[in-house]
Amino acid sequence: MGAARLLAIKGVTLFGVLLVSLLLVIVVLGATGVSDRMMGSIVNEEVRELRQSLAITIRDPIELERVVLAEREQLVEFYGLDNPWYTRLPDMVWRILRLDLGSARTLKSFSGSTRVSDIVLERLPNTVILVTTALAISSVLGLYIGVKLATRVGTTLDRGVSYISAASYALPSWWVGIIFIMILSFQFHIFPFGGITSAPVPSGFLNRTFDIMWHATLPIITLTLASVGSWAYVVRTMVLNTAQEDFVTVARAKGLPENKIMNRHIIRVAAPPIVTNLVLGLTASFGGAILTETVFNWPGMGRLYYDAIFALDENVIVALTFIFTLLYVGARFILEVLYILLDPRVRY
Amino acid sequence: MEERTRNLFKELLSSGSGKVGIAFIIALIIISLGVIIIYPPDFGLKYWSNPVLWADNPRAAPPAWTNLFSSYNQAETVIFETNIPTERIPGVSTTKVLYTFNLNHKADEPPSFISMTVGNIKYNNRPPVLIVNIERPDGNKIELYRLIVPGPLPNEVTPFARFSETPFRIQLSGNHEVVSAVSNFLKQEFDVSISNQDLLLSGVDIAVFGTPQDDGKFDVLMGVYKIQVDAFLYNEDDSIGSVKFVAGGSVHGFMGTDTLGRDLSIGLLFGFPVALFIGLVASSITTVIGTSLGIISGYIGGKTDTSIQRAADIFTNIPLLPILIFLSFIVGPNLFIIILILIIFSWPGLTILIRSMVLQIRSGQLVESSITLGASRLRIMLRHIFPQTAPFVFAQMIFFTPSAILAEAALSFLGLGDPSLPTWGQILEYGFRNGGIYVGYWWWILPPGILIVITAMTFVLIALGMEPIINPRLKRGH
Repeated sequence: MGAARLLAIKGVTLFGVLLVSLLLVIVVLGATGVSDRMMGSIVNEEVRELRQSLAITIRDPIELERVVLAEREQLVEFYGLDNPWYTRLPDMVWRILRLDLGSARTLKSFSGSTRVSDIVLERLPNTVILVTTALAISSVLGLYIGVKLATRVGTTLDRGVSYISAASYALPSWWVGIIFIMILSFQFHIFPFGGITSAPVPSGFLNRTFDIMWHATLPIITLTLASVGSWAYVVRTMVLNTAQEDFVTVARAKGLPENKIMNRHIIRVAAPPIVTNLVLGLTASFGGAILTETVFNWPGMGRLYYDAIFALDENVIVALTFIFTLLYVGARFILEVLYILLDPRVRY
Repeated sequence: MEERTRNLFKELLSSGSGKVGIAFIIALIIISLGVIIIYPPDFGLKYWSNPVLWADNPRAAPPAWTNLFSSYNQAETVIFETNIPTERIPGVSTTKVLYTFNLNHKADEPPSFISMTVGNIKYNNRPPVLIVNIERPDGNKIELYRLIVPGPLPNEVTPFARFSETPFRIQLSGNHEVVSAVSNFLKQEFDVSISNQDLLLSGVDIAVFGTPQDDGKFDVLMGVYKIQVDAFLYNEDDSIGSVKFVAGGSVHGFMGTDTLGRDLSIGLLFGFPVALFIGLVASSITTVIGTSLGIISGYIGGKTDTSIQRAADIFTNIPLLPILIFLSFIVGPNLFIIILILIIFSWPGLTILIRSMVLQIRSGQLVESSITLGASRLRIMLRHIFPQTAPFVFAQMIFFTPSAILAEAALSFLGLGDPSLPTWGQILEYGFRNGGIYVGYWWWILPPGILIVITAMTFVLIALGMEPIINPRLKRGH
C-alpha cells in the first residue's frame, strides 16, 4: 500500500470523525431546542444594535418600534428561525466551522470582547503551549525510561515501574494537581496557586518569561506524570517484542556493540508501534489538559469550559467542543504522517 | 473452555495484587450494600441538598480526631435532644415543665454557636412561654432567651398546634435578645461594659462560656454548664413535643463538615454504591456490545465487517471528554445519560481487539470442524468462538471499570454531576469551587479523591492479577 494512499485513507477517516462530531453536536442542539435559543440571541443582538443606530435618525418612538419590528421579522426569516431546526443544518455547520456563534452571555475575552470566537481563540495558544510541552517532555522521558527498563527486564526497578505505571492509571491527574497545590503552594509556598502570570505582571521580557515558566511548572508536571508511566511501559513492551526478532539475534551474532543494536536495529523498528500508542494516548492528554487547566486556573480553553459550565454559556461550549475536536484531529493527522515517515515498510 | 475461565480465577487468587484486589472489592461491596439498606432512596435531593437538615452542624469543621494531634483542644459539637421533660411541676393555674441538660465543656475555646430547636407544641388557651437559662460552673446564672409561642389566629380552633411540621430553630448566638441579656450579665456580675454591637460581632459565646480578663479578653471557663429550658403551660392538656439544644463545635465527627455544615462522612459513604454502580453498569454493557460486535465483525466479515470497523474507527477517534461535557451540559446532568454516553464511546476499542482475536480463532480446527458438522453461524459464534475469548473479555471488563468511574468523577469535578446522586467527584468539586484548596480544607478535598483512587485501584489490581493468563508473553521475567 503506498504511503499517499494510506495517508488519504487516514485523512478521510479523520475528516469523518470531524463531521460525525459536528453532526452530533448540531443534532443534539437542534433536537433539544437549544439551537433556536442560540439563534434567537444572535437575532436579539443584531436588533439591539439596529435600534441603537436607528434611534439617532428616527425620533418618533412608535415609528422606531415599527421599523425595528419589521427588521426583526426579516432577520427571523433570514436565519430561518420560522422553519424547523433541521432545515438550518447546513447553515449551522457552516456557522460552527467559522466559529460565528454570536456573543457569549457573560464571559469576556481578556481584551473585553464578548464575541465567542475572540474568547476562544485568545485562549487557544495557552492550551497548545501547555499540551505540547507536556507531550514533548513525557514522550522523551517515556522513551528513555522504557528503553532503560527493556534492558533490565525482571529487575526490581522494572517491576516497580510496571506497577507504578499501572497504578497511575487509577490516579486522576486533576486530583494529583490538587495535591500538588495543597502541598507545594498552600503548605510550602514554593509554587503559585494558579494562573499564568503574577499580579502585577513583572516588567521586562526575561522576567515575564520566567514568571510564566514558574506558573506553568506544576501544570506541566501534573500532565507529564499522568502519561509518562504508561508510555514508558508501552515503549518497554514494544522494544522487548522487537528484541526477540531474528534480525536482532543476527546483529548480535555479527558482534555489533549492544548500544548500536538498540539504537539502529531495535528502536528504529519499534518506533512505528510506539507512535501508534502515542496516538491512542492523545485523547487522554486532551481530557487531562481540560481538567488540569481547571485545577490550576490556567487561562486556556480547558479552564474556559469550566467557566462556561458555571456561566451556563452554551455558545462557548459548542465552540470549545468543536475546537477541541479540530485540535485532536489535527494532532492525529500529524502523528499519522510521522508514522509513515518512520515506517520504511510503508514508505517504500 | 470453562476450564480457561476457572484457570483465570485460580491465577487471580495466586497473585499478590489479585488477592489484595479481591479483598478490596469485597469490602467495597459490603459497604455499598450497607448504604443501600440504610440510606433513603431520595437521599441526594431530600437530605444531602437540604441545608435545613445541616443547620446545627458547624461549618467547614475538621474531623474531631484532629484534637489528638494538637495541644489546643477544639470544641466538639454537643447535641441534646429529648421529648421527655426532666421534671414536671404542676401548679394551680400553670404547669412548669423543666428540661435540664448538663454540658461538660472541656475545650480550650467556647462553642462556635449555641442554638435551640423546639417542635410540636400544642396549647388550648394561653400560648406557653419557654425560658432558656444557663448556669455556669462558677455558679452564675444567665437568663438567655424567652420564647413566647405565637398566639392563636382569628378563627383558629383549639388545640392550637405550633411548629409541628417544621420545628422552630433559634440561633441563640446571633440573637439580639440573647446579646442584651449577656451584656447585662457582664455589667452586673463583672462590671464590664461591652456594647451590644461589639458583643454581637465578637459572638456571645466567648462571654457565656468565659470570664472577662483585665486586658478585655475572655478566658474560657471549663466545667459543667447546666442548661435549663423552663416551659410554662397554662392548661393541663398543653404539651411540648421536643426540645433540642446544640453547642456547636469547631471540629465535627469522623470526617468533618463542608461549608454548609454537611457531615462529610455521610456523603462519602453514599458515594460507594454510586461509584460501583457507574463502574459496573458502564463496563458490563460496554463489554457486551463491544464483544458481540467484535465477534460478528471478525466472523461474518465482508461488508458487515467493513462497516463495523469504520464506525469503530470514527468513534474511537472522537475526543471523549469534550463530547461528554457538551452532551451532559445540553441534556442536563443525569447519571444515566452519562453512563449511556460512556458506553456509546467506549465499545469500539474492545470491538477492534476482539475482531483480531476472532480472525485467528476462525481459521482454527475447532471452528472448521463445527462448520463441517453443519453448525449454524450463531451457534458457532456463541458456543465455539465466544468461550475462547471469554477470559480476555472478562479482563477487559475489569480494566474498563475504573475508566468509567474516573470519567464520571472528572465530569462531576467540572460541575456536571447529577445532583440527585451525590458522588465523590461532586463533593470534591464543591470543595474546590468554594476555594477549599486555597484555605487548606484538606479533610474536604483529600478523602473523596482518595476514595476514587482506592476504588479505581481495586479494579486495576484485579486486572494486574489476571494479566499473566491473558497475556502469557508478559509472564514474569519472560
